[in-house]
Amino acid sequence: MRKILLLVLTAAPLLAFSQGFQVNLGGQKQIGMGHTGTGIVQDGASVFFNPGAVAMLPENYIQGGISPLLFKSVFNPAGTSIQNHTSNKVATPFHAYAVWGPKSSFWKLGLGVYTPFGGLTDWGNTWQGKYVLESLDLKAIYIQPTLSIKLADWMSIGGGFVYNHGSVDLTRAIPLANSSGDPGQARLKGGGKGYGWNAGVYFKTEAGITIGITHRSQVNTTISAGNAIFTVPASLQSSFPQPNTFSSTIPLPATNSIGFGFYPSSKWILAMDVNLVNWDSYKTLSFDYKNNTAVLQDTHSARNYQQAFSLRGGAQYKATDKLALRFGGGYGGTAVLDGYVTPEVPDANRVYGTLGLGYTVAKRLDIDISFEYEHLMKRTQTNIESQLSGTFKTDVYIPGISLAYHW
Amino acid sequence: MKTFKLHIYIVAGLLLLGACKPEIHTPKPSAGSVDFSRYIALGNSLTAGYADGGLYLAGQQVSYPSIIGKQMQSVGGGAFTQPLFSTAQANGSGYLSLTGFNADGTPITTPVTTNLAVRGLLPVPGFGNVTLYTKYTGDINNYGVPGIKLMHITYAPYGNLNGYFERLLPGNAPTNSTTYLDFVMSKPFTFFSNWLGNNDALSYATSGGAGDVLTDKNTFAALYNVLINTLTAKGQKGVVATVPDVTSIPYFNTITVSAILAGVQKANPNAKALYINALVSGSTYAPRVATPNDLIVLTFPTSKIGQLVATPVGNLPYGLTPYTPIDNQYVLDEKEVALTGDYVTSYNTTIKSVAAAKGLAVFDAYTFLQNIKLNGMVVDGVSVNSNYISGGLFSLDGVHLTPRGYAIVANEFIKAINDKYNSSIPQVNISDYNGVKFP
Repeated sequence: MRKILLLVLTAAPLLAFSQGFQVNLGGQKQIGMGHTGTGIVQDGASVFFNPGAVAMLPENYIQGGISPLLFKSVFNPAGTSIQNHTSNKVATPFHAYAVWGPKSSFWKLGLGVYTPFGGLTDWGNTWQGKYVLESLDLKAIYIQPTLSIKLADWMSIGGGFVYNHGSVDLTRAIPLANSSGDPGQARLKGGGKGYGWNAGVYFKTEAGITIGITHRSQVNTTISAGNAIFTVPASLQSSFPQPNTFSSTIPLPATNSIGFGFYPSSKWILAMDVNLVNWDSYKTLSFDYKNNTAVLQDTHSARNYQQAFSLRGGAQYKATDKLALRFGGGYGGTAVLDGYVTPEVPDANRVYGTLGLGYTVAKRLDIDISFEYEHLMKRTQTNIESQLSGTFKTDVYIPGISLAYHW
Repeated sequence: MKTFKLHIYIVAGLLLLGACKPEIHTPKPSAGSVDFSRYIALGNSLTAGYADGGLYLAGQQVSYPSIIGKQMQSVGGGAFTQPLFSTAQANGSGYLSLTGFNADGTPITTPVTTNLAVRGLLPVPGFGNVTLYTKYTGDINNYGVPGIKLMHITYAPYGNLNGYFERLLPGNAPTNSTTYLDFVMSKPFTFFSNWLGNNDALSYATSGGAGDVLTDKNTFAALYNVLINTLTAKGQKGVVATVPDVTSIPYFNTITVSAILAGVQKANPNAKALYINALVSGSTYAPRVATPNDLIVLTFPTSKIGQLVATPVGNLPYGLTPYTPIDNQYVLDEKEVALTGDYVTSYNTTIKSVAAAKGLAVFDAYTFLQNIKLNGMVVDGVSVNSNYISGGLFSLDGVHLTPRGYAIVANEFIKAINDKYNSSIPQVNISDYNGVKFP
């Protein structure tokens, strides 16, 4: 009679990918030039930037690099002077490519392993939004075999198949206090997979300008049986059955790019890329728990992302035969509408600048380093779902280094 | 050597990046047009930090005035001192603790009876026993006294009838003659909050309209004017709060007529209705069939239903016949609800007009809690509502708030003050405060 329904203390983790999770750190030479690479041919990273251009590579390549990423966000809750910072954690986007074809042949094979999406955000367990998110570690590793064919001296095409292995590890406080007053915690941890493809075309025009157009498809990544671990006061554990699993599908969006290369002198390359990312496929984020109870229901959170574009430009100056200097920058529009910004990635319009340096240390060995600074504009938001209200600001620092062997 | 140097630079660079954090520049908190140097809080149990059916140290430490006082310190507020129970007597008056759930999901609460601050029991002729608590000596900013009504603030013997007030006074009951208002005014202050008036309606309501009376509307208005005139005599500023609708609390909404009836019908499908002893008019009560508009109190022992009661027409089951209605003290019936509502509306008209005349800030607790009852509320990812235990806002007694509830109320007071006085007292982080504690 005195029945109490422990109402819907929704354990709905609000996972979001966004521009912030599209890391695009595909190669050090390209990062140095402001993330351009669709319309020019630099090295094996063309497997990622434009598979259509791979056949135009004059040599075979094997290369790899890493771009440690420091994502530093601050949140100022509305009406306070509190500053909540994310802790210092270094994400490690990496890339490795191999490109091979017979000398002077019309085709080349490529293989790329890279991390186009990912995020590492740790707000800690004492901040204002801990019931929305404590921490998130998200990785997507794409493996992409590629074939590229030169149709003519001035035109090549290529395409690849993408296998994605994704993993997520998300924690969030649950507003159910134990006898010491400490809150519970939800942790969702699991891996999944998805498939996709990409294709590109590359032209050399008579005016000396090179042009690349690519499409990287949407990759629906499904985590079918991740662990759903709920730490709650003992008297409520039966409402959060353990062990439990969850399933969720996240559409990693398609990206359309067009890029141009200009060559004002033998020492200079200028490049420009425009990307349109089809984030509008990301309408809802759902979590389906295997064992539901009156309290633990499946969750469906509206995301309603919109298409986002970015504009990138960069240059390379070949100071000597062995030394290349690079710089670039760009602008990316946010995919997240007002009212939908969440702390997983406090997305906003962003600007960035990059610097790079390439050095040929031995006859066939390039070492490239790059540095990127990215600034997400201050954004004051009240999230519709969580009512978390305040101002986000984010700086991202990405140094990087790669080695490329070519023959 | 050269590469070694390069490494050093890279490592140094990474460390440097690790050190630079983005900052959001916020305007410096400002006191606006107010001097917050000595803030005092007047009120009843809600102001004292009462929760889970008792006043105890952990509740006092999260009282809304203590939260406001702490936040005021960034805009020139002084120390905010409360009449805390000592750690040795941390459980104060004792309180209820949630110790588990029955198989049907109903909560099991157990009284905490150790480490109390009870000093003794004083029998007062014609009144009853007054529990006395260990005296508090020291500075006081929080004058919240559980049980006090506005009606009591100028009543000289009150210090002998309320153990929570007696505890603050230097003298021992039954020798006290300092009124609450005089006691509060004995030390100068620059800013006040006042949330008196709840018990003038609530004490009547929680006793099912049987154990107490509503304070007369004109008496309320007269005393409220006296109170505010006195508090603002030297130009002090302040914030006042309205009286919540008594039906917005889980104390009246958890055990419902339909739930009791459904339970009865499980055992006895022929049971058609519950009977209550309901108000007809004035002080006349008569049995009638209960409707969903009659509110049953949280403390009603539902096991009484159906127990045989001796009546002139034989033994009949309790609550199920017109001869054996549920006692008046357990029911705030429809007419009593309306009567209470009418008084509360009148009290609030007084509070708002007096506040407007004196240029005081107002936290409209009536509207705020009514809105939560109707729509719930989401704060920083946490859903709160007026449901018992699960709502997160109300403590185990169904009347007083949880730490989360008090933090939310503190922020509402702060918003009202900031709006009125152009100040910018920072709000508190509600995520730091818990709801009901579960075993």
